[in-house]
Amino acid sequence: MDINELKRQSDLSYDTAVAKRNALEKARSRQVMAYNGHLFRADADTICLVRTLKESLDTFCVLDTNHNPVEITNPAEFLGRLIERNQESLNAYKQIYQTFTRKG
Amino acid sequence: MSIGVLLFCFDTEHTRYHRILERCVRLVRKNISDEITVITDFHTYQRMSPMGHINYRFIEPELGNKKDGQEWRNVDRHMAYELSPYDTTLVMDIDYFCFSDNLRQLLQTEHDFLVPDTAHDLTGRNTFDQRRWSMIPMVWATVLLFKKNDRVRKIFDTVKYVKQHYSYFAEMYRIYARNLRNDYLFAMALQQINGFTGYDKMPFALPTLPPDCEVVKMTDTGLAWKHNDQISCVEHQDVHVLNKEVADV
Repeated sequence: MDINELKRQSDLSYDTAVAKRNALEKARSRQVMAYNGHLFRADADTICLVRTLKESLDTFCVLDTNHNPVEITNPAEFLGRLIERNQESLNAYKQIYQTFTRKG
Repeated sequence: MSIGVLLFCFDTEHTRYHRILERCVRLVRKNISDEITVITDFHTYQRMSPMGHINYRFIEPELGNKKDGQEWRNVDRHMAYELSPYDTTLVMDIDYFCFSDNLRQLLQTEHDFLVPDTAHDLTGRNTFDQRRWSMIPMVWATVLLFKKNDRVRKIFDTVKYVKQHYSYFAEMYRIYARNLRNDYLFAMALQQINGFTGYDKMPFALPTLPPDCEVVKMTDTGLAWKHNDQISCVEHQDVHVLNKEVADV
C-alpha cells in the first residue's frame, strides 16, 4: 500500500474512533434523567431491573446514580420514562453512527 | 422555591470574557433557565451588549491569580452561596456552553450539592487524566448545583477556609499547580467537610475541549474546532471550551 494512502486511512480511522467515542459519551450523558427527585441512568441495566421488579411488585426500591434508595410507586410510568429516554439517546447515537459508515 | 443560574464574568486585560458570557447566556436561556444572575464588575458590565432580563450583582474581583502568565479572575466562586438570589442554584463557568438541556434536570432533584468528578476529552487524548497524582479524588467545579441549607452553607464555609489556607492544603494533598483553581479548592473542601468519604456527584463526564483546540465555528446547537489541521464538531452536546480565544469566534 502507498504510504500516503496508509496515512490517510489511518487518520480517517482515528477521527472516526474519536467521533464515535464522543457520540457514545453524548448518548450516555443523555441517558441520565431525573425522576422522583433523583437521578437515574436510562440504560439497559436499569430498564431490565425495573421491568423485572415491576412484574412481581406494585412498589419497590431502586438505587439512584449515587446509590441512594428511591421508592418507585408508579413502576409503569417510571419504566416508560426510562425507555423513552433510552431510545431517544440511542436513536441520536445511531444517526451520528450512520455518518461514520458513510465516510467508510 | 426559586431556581436559577449563576455566572461569574470579569474581563481582563487580555481576554474579553463578556463576549464569552454573551454566547453562554443565550444558550442558558434556551436550554436551562430564564432566571440568570451575572456576578461581574462595573467595568465589564459597561462592555456587555444588552442580553434581555438578567440580574446583575457587582463585586470587585479578587486579583492576584494567574494562568499561563496572564491575569485570571476566577477566585470568587467561594462566594456563590451568598451571592446567589436563588434557593436552588446552578453555577456554571461561562466557557461551559450548554448545547443540550441535560443540566436542567439537575434542578429537579433533591440533591443539595452536586459536582462532576470526570471530564471527557473531546479530542480522544484523555488529557484530563493527568490529575491522578493528587491524593484526593478531584472534581470539576465548572458546573455546581447547590441548594441553600445549613449543610451547604457549611460546605461553602469550608471552601472559604481551604482558600484562606490554600498553600497548606495544596501541599498536604499533593496539588502542585501554582495558581488557585476552583476545582482543587472544592475537591479539598468536599473531602474535609464530608469526613474524608465520598459524596454525591453528577453522573456524567463534562465534555471538554483542551486549550490547544481552536474553535472555528459556533452556532446555537453546537461547535466545530480545529486540532492538528483536522476539523471536528459536536451538536446538541454540552462543551467546556478551555481555549479563551473562543471570545473572538
